[in-house]
Amino acid sequence: MDLKLAHSNKDGIEIVDVEGEIDVYTAPRLRELLIELVNKKNYQLVVNMEKVEFLDSTGLGVLVGGLKRVRAHDGSLDLVCTQERILKIFRITGLTKVFGIHESVDQAIAARKAEK
Amino acid sequence: MRKGDPGTERIPVEWVLMKADTEQIRILLVEDDDGDAFLIEELLREARAGITVRRARLLAEAGKLIDEATCVLLDLDLPDSRGLHGLRRLLLQEPDTAIVVLTGLADEHLGEEAVRAGAQDYLIKGDVTGKLLHRVIRYAVERRRWHEAQRQLHVARVSARENARLERGLLPSAVLDDPRLSVAARYRAGGKQRLLGGDFYDVVQTPDGWVHALIGDVCGHGPSEAALGVCLRVAWRALVLAGERPADVLSAVQLVLRHEQQEEAMFATVCMMSVAPGRRTATLRLAGHPAPLLVTPHGIGELAAPPCPPPGLNDAGNWPALDVKLGDRWSLLLYTDGLVEGRISGSPYRLGSEGLMGLMRDALGTAPFDPGRVGDEALLNGLIDQVRHLNGGDLNDDVALLVLGCS
Repeated sequence: MDLKLAHSNKDGIEIVDVEGEIDVYTAPRLRELLIELVNKKNYQLVVNMEKVEFLDSTGLGVLVGGLKRVRAHDGSLDLVCTQERILKIFRITGLTKVFGIHESVDQAIAARKAEK
Repeated sequence: MRKGDPGTERIPVEWVLMKADTEQIRILLVEDDDGDAFLIEELLREARAGITVRRARLLAEAGKLIDEATCVLLDLDLPDSRGLHGLRRLLLQEPDTAIVVLTGLADEHLGEEAVRAGAQDYLIKGDVTGKLLHRVIRYAVERRRWHEAQRQLHVARVSARENARLERGLLPSAVLDDPRLSVAARYRAGGKQRLLGGDFYDVVQTPDGWVHALIGDVCGHGPSEAALGVCLRVAWRALVLAGERPADVLSAVQLVLRHEQQEEAMFATVCMMSVAPGRRTATLRLAGHPAPLLVTPHGIGELAAPPCPPPGLNDAGNWPALDVKLGDRWSLLLYTDGLVEGRISGSPYRLGSEGLMGLMRDALGTAPFDPGRVGDEALLNGLIDQVRHLNGGDLNDDVALLVLGCS
């Protein structure tokens, strides 16, 4: 299964749209994109996971890696996810306490703006 | 070959498919001279070999086509390459492809030099028959295959030695002194390379009679993750033996991880089960890890403790526990996520803990279950084989299983 990645800027926040399966084979591409965005000084990231079909521990590691990178610049990495089977992975791994998880991109952006 | 029609030869490459009476050999002929190329192709046809020929006129073209070839016939005198330069370039790019060089009568010595530099053989133009050409190509391909097989064997041996060394660190023997308890474990390295990842487990009984079981998984897959796994397991064992309370053990394991980690994103999920001296109750802590299964005569269930972030990400340092009633006879199956992340018969869905419980139920038959059977070697192997079978082949991730049973 393939992984599709796209990103766009909205209100100064970089939105990363992820589609497909994030696993041991595809996760490196997401890692590269997140590193590239941080290197280009995008420290406010929202990863939209609404079209993600599967996420394994390597994928979680990549998201955590991204979070640590932006936090080093006082930035943020929020997630958009309403799919139960993906949310379950975050619950089991206790990462709901680590990431801000939102129901829509707009909500994630609003939450980020409110915190500023 | 459209010899004598240079005007239409803008397309530098053509496919010539010859009658295949044996296994297909894909030849890349690198020859700028149309006359010589025509001759070689005629000879190949004469030899009735099952051979596909693709032609390049320049070394630069050859570089783009070589990855599809099983054997390269390389002229040593090309417009963009003279002598052994072209041979070295192509070998560097595709070390596993057999290369036979073509030389003129005047520079036969170059052929010998080419063989020393890594060519499989050489042919002198004008001195080649169809049979000779065919034989040289076949031998060249066979020799190359043999070398490749040898190389793979060597790699497999090295990785087996490496795995054995790490395995001793990641997967120790239990420290247990209770005839009622038994421990069984299984480990299967995932991925195509079959290299050990960072799954680890341990079982330790302390002087006060408590038995602590651990299973963990360092995020990621590779030697540095495996090395960190060894570190964490040994740290865990030392802390447990030193009599630290479980929550303090996990806090200290988190500190060790932060000190020892080489990549910033690393974290390790762990499941820690502490069985009280009476063997009828236990406490469970899940830090980012899948919940273990409890099998009793009455049923098979998942022990869902309140989840907390794994060591490495648990800034609050809270490690909430679930008190578990085990009963008289029971088995606990602790596992890493590789076991439940496999596909189900080609569908996008994954096995999950529900699927795993279903397989366990199938394996144990109808209630009342015999919890003692969960640790059976055949049952555990069968379980992993079934998960692999459902996945349609090898699993991506490592799988570790630890069964602690009481009879």
